[in-house]
Amino acid sequence: MTDYETVIGLETHIQLNTTTKIFCGCKADSWEEPPNTNICPVCTGLPGVLPVLNKAAVHKGALLAAAMHSEIRLTSFFDRKNYFYPDLPKGYQISQYDMAIGKGGFMDLPMPDGDTRRINIEKLHLEEDAGKTKYEHGRRYIDFNRCGVPLVEMVTGPDLRSADEAAQYLIRLRQLLRWLGVSEANMEKGHLRCDANVSIREVGSTELNTKTEIKNVNSIEAVRAAINKEIDRQTALVDSGGRVEAWTLDWDDAHNRLNKMRSKETEADYRYFREPDLLSLELTESWREKVVAELPELPLARRARFETEYDLPEYDADILTGDKPLSEYFEAAVEAYAGDPKVVSNWIMNEILRMLNDLGVSADALTLKPEHLASVLKMVDEGKINSATGKSLLVKVQDSGKAPDVIVREEGLAQVSDDSALLAVIEKILSKNPEEVGSYRDGKTGLFGWFMGQVMRETRGKADPQLTRELLQKQLDGE
Amino acid sequence: MTIIDQSAYAIAKKVRSGELSAVEVLETALERIAAVDGRPGSLDGGSNPEDESKVHAFITLTKDRARKQAESVDARIKAGEDAGPLAGVPVTVKDIFCVRGTPSTAASRILANFTAPYTATPVSRLEGAGAVTLGKVNLDEFTYGSSTESSAFQPSTRNPWETNRVPGGSSGGSTASVAAGEAPLSLGTDTAGSIRQPAAFCGVVGLKPTYGRVSRYGLIAFGSSLDCPGPIARDVRDTALMLSVMAGADPHDSTAAAVPVPDYMASLEKGVKGLRIGLSPDYMQITFPDPETGEIERQTLPKEIREATLRAAEVLADQGAEIVEDIPMPNMVYGIPVYFVVSRVEAASNLHRFDGVKYGYRAASDYRDLREMYRVTRAEGFGLQPKLRILMGMYVSAAQYSEQYYARALRVRSLIRADFEAAFDPDGEYRVDALLTPTTPTTAFKLADIYGDSVLMQYADQLTVPANHAGIPGISIPGGIDADGLPIGVQLLAPDFKEETLFQIGHTFESATADDAWRKIKPQVLRED
Amino acid sequence: MTDEITPELFEHLVDLAAFAFNPEAAEYLRRELNKQLKAIQQLEAVPLDGDIPLASHGVPYTKQSRPDLRSDTWQPCENPEEILEQAPQVEDGYIIVPDIPHTKLD
Repeated sequence: MTDYETVIGLETHIQLNTTTKIFCGCKADSWEEPPNTNICPVCTGLPGVLPVLNKAAVHKGALLAAAMHSEIRLTSFFDRKNYFYPDLPKGYQISQYDMAIGKGGFMDLPMPDGDTRRINIEKLHLEEDAGKTKYEHGRRYIDFNRCGVPLVEMVTGPDLRSADEAAQYLIRLRQLLRWLGVSEANMEKGHLRCDANVSIREVGSTELNTKTEIKNVNSIEAVRAAINKEIDRQTALVDSGGRVEAWTLDWDDAHNRLNKMRSKETEADYRYFREPDLLSLELTESWREKVVAELPELPLARRARFETEYDLPEYDADILTGDKPLSEYFEAAVEAYAGDPKVVSNWIMNEILRMLNDLGVSADALTLKPEHLASVLKMVDEGKINSATGKSLLVKVQDSGKAPDVIVREEGLAQVSDDSALLAVIEKILSKNPEEVGSYRDGKTGLFGWFMGQVMRETRGKADPQLTRELLQKQLDGE
Repeated sequence: MTIIDQSAYAIAKKVRSGELSAVEVLETALERIAAVDGRPGSLDGGSNPEDESKVHAFITLTKDRARKQAESVDARIKAGEDAGPLAGVPVTVKDIFCVRGTPSTAASRILANFTAPYTATPVSRLEGAGAVTLGKVNLDEFTYGSSTESSAFQPSTRNPWETNRVPGGSSGGSTASVAAGEAPLSLGTDTAGSIRQPAAFCGVVGLKPTYGRVSRYGLIAFGSSLDCPGPIARDVRDTALMLSVMAGADPHDSTAAAVPVPDYMASLEKGVKGLRIGLSPDYMQITFPDPETGEIERQTLPKEIREATLRAAEVLADQGAEIVEDIPMPNMVYGIPVYFVVSRVEAASNLHRFDGVKYGYRAASDYRDLREMYRVTRAEGFGLQPKLRILMGMYVSAAQYSEQYYARALRVRSLIRADFEAAFDPDGEYRVDALLTPTTPTTAFKLADIYGDSVLMQYADQLTVPANHAGIPGISIPGGIDADGLPIGVQLLAPDFKEETLFQIGHTFESATADDAWRKIKPQVLRED
Repeated sequence: MTDEITPELFEHLVDLAAFAFNPEAAEYLRRELNKQLKAIQQLEAVPLDGDIPLASHGVPYTKQSRPDLRSDTWQPCENPEEILEQAPQVEDGYIIVPDIPHTKLD
């Protein structure tokens, strides 16, 4: 049995979150709208219409290029890609061919073993989206609402080596897109689309064999499953003496299988030529510098910084830099807390993340601000409240919008740390439960926890656990 | 003089002052149309002996719409408002422009049932200035041609000077409607000479503005880097007036230049003293493919056309211009070959959208699948000329040929432009303000004479197409009538955005020849006999 | 007369352009195309040195003459229904066309 290596390249289409489409003033986001209502003569390709380029699409495209270490070309051109398809109203797509806005680029993808693999970017260009077609009863239903939405197409080199790596790349890409604020990158809504080119070769070979193209994978899990299926198919085919042909495959998620779409050999020659209805895109050196300067600290860089600056394990840093608002939340809380960042990290990874999940919002939308969290943590440190109270206090702050110390005061949540008050409660409990006291003193030391529970119940959870333990111990030991 | 034979300038003045009402003016236009135009072109075509003496400029006469516009102009005048510089002036529009609520057909079956939901910028500017749109006039299908014969709407337009001859093309309906006095103004388009050539054939003035001077939004595209909407009128003043209303940047057109629009009317009376006007031997000869071998042969210009051009030079010299001879324009001879490549690549792509999916014609038969629907729709919907252009466009832009044909043609295009830059260069050897050339290699030919030979037909544009490649403005003005009674046009070409120079020279020539005998001759359809 | 566009190549172009012709029309068109190619071939003789630029437009655009890029502001179309009315077949707001052929993978 031969050992094969998988070679995967990914072609992604990223929907930019501008307000309007790339070449006309219709909305870029029309997800919920009835079909063919978010249209105009330009995006439906009526006779006589002309494209007019959206400056925000250029800006976001340039920002993405900068984040992918691509060179932003100062002069770039749009080209027509000609082919017939019912959701392509002009019969050509306005795209960029040889002189696109981005030149080169890469993403350093963290690998599970701690290394990084450089995934090269071969293409990064702006283009317009087509409309949507759905298939029913032997007919195609076409909706042009989405036609003309700005896209960035990014194509990697054949640098990925497994379905898992491909999934990782997409996860990191999605994180980056949201981080930059250039796309919502929600795969289920089609903001981030992916086609995978897959081929296999013998381990050690550096040649590229015939590849197939997998289309219509609408989630990261689908990408993983589809690529794995295709690897299996190609492996079985080659092992049995067959030859892989350059097919285009359609992933059928419902049935977990691949369908053949068309043979690459008969694919149309797109007859690219410069779009005469648009002038060249001219950017100045100073504009380009501003864009690069605008780049925020990127996720992986921030992750690394959190590890060193806050002395956090990679696991924590990875979660805390999952999205930009959360990472900013963490840092603001650390600054306000001025204590051990690991404490903040733990509380965020547990309590805050759970809250975010339940509410379905991002960290910048919380009423519970980082300063509030810091305040709660400080109160726990000072012994003013216990940690269980602290956790429920977070929820109260979120729900009411009041500051933590206000709530503590109003609801009387302060920990009972007064020796005499606690002592009184302990004595009361011991006197009420003489059998248990006897059992304990006879050696059933496990009952200590039960006594703790009783004290907590009696004080409605407000007893200072540390102090209670000390005093209870003394009492039980008969001092 | 009947109202409708007056200039747009005069009509607008009288309407604005209340001397004439817009509705009155409209009525005279409609009367003239009824008298000379005959039946409009239609898909059913057919033939009728009556057709032969009529002009057939129209595809769609929009009477009711026009009436509403005229009434609205009159209402504004009555209310003391400014109704615009073209108040009440009737205008015909080449049916290559989308006008909301009207059939906008491109003279093609594939758009015969298309009602535009929006209006082209040049048209809305004209209407905003008070003009009254009479309707849509005929053209070569998708502007592909130099005779208007290829229209799917037959009978196609006849030359008002002699109705068994072509009016030229592709703006044949436009120039014929103006020559026949149906309207003082018409909006046409010029991609290889489609305004200037028919203007020459019909004895009217036609201007191709600088590329990007007038917005192309709403112009059903042929050659996107070549198409220029432009004015057609009976004199230079009216042409300038119409351009001043249409010119200027447009947020709907990324190629409409943000160059300020000068006061064109102010340039008219400047005269030509001190202007340097060039003549080029390369424009005083013509080339034609041999019908048998296809070899390109050089010929001298027909005598009368040559004489009209040289006479124009004399007239201008008498008025104080300096004539500069022997300006070399060696690359103009490649104008047609370059055009065959560049325009076809753009046309094939621009016509991709006609697929029966979203608008226009969709074949009625039962097709198995989408691919078949495309084929039948396009085969039935397009006439011969679009098919030829699309096929050629496919060929010369195909990946394996595109360097050989398309890239090469674009480089030669630079050379054609360079010839003009050298001629106009203020620091160069010739330093001319304009070039004077004949407009066409022949006068109007007879119907069916050339149609069918696609190369010969294209070569009708050889003297006009270089300006389209270079982007510079060019105007054709009547320069005489030949012994057969057919109009001869002379052409002036100027540097980028120097339309005012063309107006200045043209108006001077007009005034200096105002009393010439040939100006008194009328087209056949307007003769009293 | 050059026969650069052979009948086979012509058929390929017809396919690319989504057309269909009867034999007489096909032959006429093929002949005309070859005649045009003869005219086009004059360009091969034009001496072109390396740095003659491709002119996508005749008129050069300067910083001043270029219009600005469009600002990202919503401009709704006032009559999208009129656009939809032009479609030959509409159902529930969708434009309908026959299906595209594609084959299943075994």
